[in-house]
Amino acid sequence: MKKYIFKRVLISIVTLLVILLVLFLMLELMPGSPFNDEKLTESQRALLNAKYGLDQPIVIRFFKYIGAMLTGDFGVSYTISKNTAITALLQTRLPVSLRIGGQAILIGTVLGLILGIIAAIKHNTIYDTITTVISVLGVSLPSYVFAMILIYYMGFDLKWFPLLYKPEQPFYSSVLPTVSLCMFTIATVARFTRTEMLEVLGSDYMLLAESKGINSFQLIFKHALRNALIPVITVLAPLVVGLMTGSLVIEKLFSIPGIGSLLVTAIQSNDYNVVVALTFIYSVMYIGIMLVVDILYGVIDPRIRLAKGDGHE
Amino acid sequence: MKKYTKLIALMMALAMILSLAACGGNSGKETTTTTDETTTTEPSETDSTAATGSNVLKVHFDVEVASLDPQIATDGTSFEVIAATTEGLYSVDAEGNPILALAEKVDKSEDGLTYTFTLRDAQWSNGTPVTANDFVFAWRRLVDPAVVSEYSFIAAIANIKNAAAITAGEVPVDQLGVTAKDDKTLEVTLDVPVPFFESLLAFPSFLPVNEAFFTEKGESFGTSPDTVISNGPFSLTAYEPAATSISLAKSTTYWDAANVKLDGIDYQVIKDSQQTMLSYQNGDLDVATLSGEQVEQFQADPEFHSIMAGYLWYISPNQTVAGLENLNLRMALALAYDKEAVAKNILKDGSIVADFAVPTKLATGPDGKDFRETTGTYLSTDKAKAAQYWDKAKTELGISEVKYTMIVEDTESAINVAQFIQSEIQTTLPGVTIEIETMPKKNRVERMQAGDFELGLTRWGPDYADPMTYLDMWTTGSPNNYGFWSNADYDAIVNSAKSGDLALDINKRWEELKKAEKIAMDEAVIFPVYQKGDAVMYKSTVAGIEFHSVGINRIYKNATKN
Repeated sequence: MKKYIFKRVLISIVTLLVILLVLFLMLELMPGSPFNDEKLTESQRALLNAKYGLDQPIVIRFFKYIGAMLTGDFGVSYTISKNTAITALLQTRLPVSLRIGGQAILIGTVLGLILGIIAAIKHNTIYDTITTVISVLGVSLPSYVFAMILIYYMGFDLKWFPLLYKPEQPFYSSVLPTVSLCMFTIATVARFTRTEMLEVLGSDYMLLAESKGINSFQLIFKHALRNALIPVITVLAPLVVGLMTGSLVIEKLFSIPGIGSLLVTAIQSNDYNVVVALTFIYSVMYIGIMLVVDILYGVIDPRIRLAKGDGHE
Repeated sequence: MKKYTKLIALMMALAMILSLAACGGNSGKETTTTTDETTTTEPSETDSTAATGSNVLKVHFDVEVASLDPQIATDGTSFEVIAATTEGLYSVDAEGNPILALAEKVDKSEDGLTYTFTLRDAQWSNGTPVTANDFVFAWRRLVDPAVVSEYSFIAAIANIKNAAAITAGEVPVDQLGVTAKDDKTLEVTLDVPVPFFESLLAFPSFLPVNEAFFTEKGESFGTSPDTVISNGPFSLTAYEPAATSISLAKSTTYWDAANVKLDGIDYQVIKDSQQTMLSYQNGDLDVATLSGEQVEQFQADPEFHSIMAGYLWYISPNQTVAGLENLNLRMALALAYDKEAVAKNILKDGSIVADFAVPTKLATGPDGKDFRETTGTYLSTDKAKAAQYWDKAKTELGISEVKYTMIVEDTESAINVAQFIQSEIQTTLPGVTIEIETMPKKNRVERMQAGDFELGLTRWGPDYADPMTYLDMWTTGSPNNYGFWSNADYDAIVNSAKSGDLALDINKRWEELKKAEKIAMDEAVIFPVYQKGDAVMYKSTVAGIEFHSVGINRIYKNATKN
């Protein structure tokens, strides 16, 4: 098991390094430069490039950057917030994004589970149909559309919630963004839970448990749900990705001072260091979740470990 | 059974990881909110009063502030906030004329080369007096090659002694022609007289910085309310780098505080244009900028206003491309499209037809009149004439048809304008085919700078209130002369106006600049299309915001609400 985990961690680190290298190359190929103001003269542009070390070859810049990164230095922003250390930008912005993302995942998973269970138990009833409709809508409609609908009806029309994120009301003003973000999670989790629950409920051991006279509450929560949940974990990683991409538009729409809105601006203005740092963080989060899911799998199901050639049995 | 306990443990662990992730985010946020609270105490107080109809103006930005360092900032958004908190020697009045601000008195030498400013008794918000050295320090930073200010060229345009040489690294920075005679007396020496020097001094790059405070704050200067001091009408109460909300409160230490009516300004960054207008209608904003697509929807609203901006949009023909070196062909293209329709039917945001190279309401001459008022118009739409020019061009070039590609940035309004011009030219001039290639603005700029284009729809914003901010572009060898046009007479006038005889005679200079514009227009060096109008919405209770096309876009010192 230890060897398996070690191997997974190592692969993750190598993947991150490759991502960084590809990022550097892609930014190099991106048209424009951080200093593409028409009013800059050639000599000034050269001075600016020299000031930020952009006049050096990409290979040197890459290794310098990794070296600095190991000491926690992600460089400075060139255009979005001139000369500000990226770490300073992250300090205030990362917690906001993590919190709203976390809220969405948590609420989304819990609500998704509840809906999925109801749909499975009340199979082929109106409840099931409602859940299916919600799932289809949630999966197919982008979070941007939900957000616009929520903003218009819940914010503008009914005035229940503020239209924009307000730092002085971090929770109240994050209700609409959280709801828009978690729709996809609710839908996906509900769908998977429903399917798995139905399969488990129809299995022989459930029939046995039922005939043993176990009450229905215990039957569902102790026996059925536990087994149905395993495949749900599978979709966790893709869900986090969905949240991250969703957060780019949602943060822009609600003016949330998070890293998603920052990344969009950074790409548009060729702010290399900000793009690299933020994409790196997104990669770390994604690969980190994949790693946890992978390891959990190995623990849950010995067959997976065996299949990956790490079994001792 | 054992298998089940293992599974329960796993589920619990997963649940804990999930909730921890959420809590981790929460606790992290809590610490930042507490720091936020210390910095936002004041605005949240004013916020609560704002709800009951107070005097805090809520203003929309569509982009974040890039820097609060006057010598580093380059964009209008940053300039607006900096200028609201910091005052320089001059400010501008509602019409854009320079007015004394921190300077109480100015003495100009006979030859126009030396300016001696006497400063009024003013204070920085930390209680220290504003001294002449604050200007010396700031202006040296502006030209210092080690600082690499992107706007250092403005000091060279002002012709402050040695400015260009210092930026080029040829002369040490202490040789800059600005000295503090004493705490209240600032002496500035110029290389050649600059008729618009005083109006230039209202530009944010010339704002003072307190040396002691700057040194004390070091790298953190300008990144939070604690690392910014102000001497202007407002002071900063909530800000962090790339913030989406910024708060200013009326400054009590400002010398003219009695005339500042607002209690403060709350800026809100909103990038989505639909969200902007919903927020405006919801009362979250008092002032909002409309995007081009929204103009039609709101132009009948009494709160809709169109503000003349300095931006001139035009087509630049690349004269190194076969055919475009022919004057008749250029004239044909320049006259072939209906500019009135572009401004009135396509843009509808208050933009006006541009039959000129120097925009209207940009520069006031020695006669006190706008440059445009005392000179002619050029290249007005005339489809019949265009067809004649096209016939001549066909004979001269020995061709019957031509095809050019026009590069255009990928904004909706630019594409709409380009497509209209395309169809107009193709109808008016049979045989001419225009193809449109859209791309992000930075690509378009890059391609034009490299000379890799045939026609380019581009724009230019003024940096200072003088025709030279446009005419300087088309001299031989100028990096902004994208079309590679060259005319010796034109070069002679512009160079003389910059640093030759014309610089010494402001009346003659003005007349000669009119001639220069005529030369450029007669040769169709650019095909002007329109001068941009900005569509803004502001509440009927708001008054006194001064909108400008040069330098600082909006000045709030005299603004009122209610």
